[in-house]
Amino acid sequence: MSPRRLLPLLSLAIAVGLLSCADIAAPSRTTAYEWRRIVATAAGPDTLSFHWPQSRLPVRIWAEDTLNLPAHVQQGIDQWEAAFLYGEFQGQLVSDSSVADVIVTSGLAPKGGFSITRLKALAPECQGATDVELDAGGQQIIPPIRVYVDPRFAPSSPGVDQCMALTTTHELGHSLGIFAHSPNADDIMFGDPVVAEISPRDRATAELAYHTEPSLSVAPR
Amino acid sequence: MTGSPSAPILAGMRATLPLLILALAGGVPLLHAQMDYNARVGLTWATPLLRDDVINEIQVRQKLAPTLVLGASLPIAPLYRAGLELALGTSGYRSKEAGGSAVDLGTVRTGAITLGLEGPISRAFRWHAGVGLLRYLPTEDRGIFLRGGTTRFLAGAGVDYRRPILTQWDLMASLRYDFHRFTTAELEARGFSQSQGVQRIGVTIGLAKGLR
Repeated sequence: MSPRRLLPLLSLAIAVGLLSCADIAAPSRTTAYEWRRIVATAAGPDTLSFHWPQSRLPVRIWAEDTLNLPAHVQQGIDQWEAAFLYGEFQGQLVSDSSVADVIVTSGLAPKGGFSITRLKALAPECQGATDVELDAGGQQIIPPIRVYVDPRFAPSSPGVDQCMALTTTHELGHSLGIFAHSPNADDIMFGDPVVAEISPRDRATAELAYHTEPSLSVAPR
Repeated sequence: MTGSPSAPILAGMRATLPLLILALAGGVPLLHAQMDYNARVGLTWATPLLRDDVINEIQVRQKLAPTLVLGASLPIAPLYRAGLELALGTSGYRSKEAGGSAVDLGTVRTGAITLGLEGPISRAFRWHAGVGLLRYLPTEDRGIFLRGGTTRFLAGAGVDYRRPILTQWDLMASLRYDFHRFTTAELEARGFSQSQGVQRIGVTIGLAKGLR
């Protein structure tokens, strides 16, 4: 075969080779806030971190059928799933509370015992709390994680339903492993949440949480 | 090659392709006699669609994709032919973090249409080179495809081998290499800059009719 015949093919191969060098550039996740919970122990501070392992996905979530909670929970699941690029978290509403990994109910959280790590949110129209029960050694989560969302006014009052929705998303954030609050009011994980959507900072934080080796495991179902 | 296809280019291709398809399908009787058709099946392998770095490196890549290719060409010069090739593939795609296990992310279908040139290398072998568009169609809008699929420019080349097996039919085996730059609307929205060079190699075998 004459070199002239191969010229188009060789030209294309060289052009393609030159264009194939650069890779996509990943965004910085340095805006993430501290998501781990630092607890005081006799031996000094202990850092608690957690994420649901792939083997436990989808996380089974049960919601009490009141105050539009199932819809709020589904919206929260959708938002948190969309925060991840690589299938790190998946949630599923289930009808049987006895098989749930996370139980979401209305009302105030009961007084927690020694093993309860309570994470609270306090928005103007409603409040929420997430109780994570640890085993005696303090290294394993005993499911279900319990989420409480409670309106502070009559449920039909202005802003209460929106508050219940964003507080549910906030509390689900705790249940999937963000054990601390953001210092920024633009984030859903701010201690007194006011935004309805997960922010880029929330997303970066969740990504870091799910790609960092957790200190806590979860007990078998 | 590095950006999303612009609307005018896509519109031009949309207008041109039906005419070419009509001509290749026999709408122009004079050309019909000189037309060459082929249909092949095979597998396509691809380099990673994405490299990310959260704590460790994460790669997203397609699995080996079963592929169907339909092609047709017409002579444009004594030695050269111009052709149209449609390649359809489907495969799972997965992410893998360094030191971790792979996670299945779903299924993505690809459809590539290329306009190409081909010419002889020897009696049984012909070279092929082309440019076109490649469309990624995920079965679910999530993860890197949360805002839907993506269309990318494509350039490729390859070699065809043909051997007569029946009066009018040839056995045809093809080796194809192509290249495109991958990104999605979701990746761009999250601040991924530039795009990932993706190289694909396809091996197919099938039947061809017409070129003797």
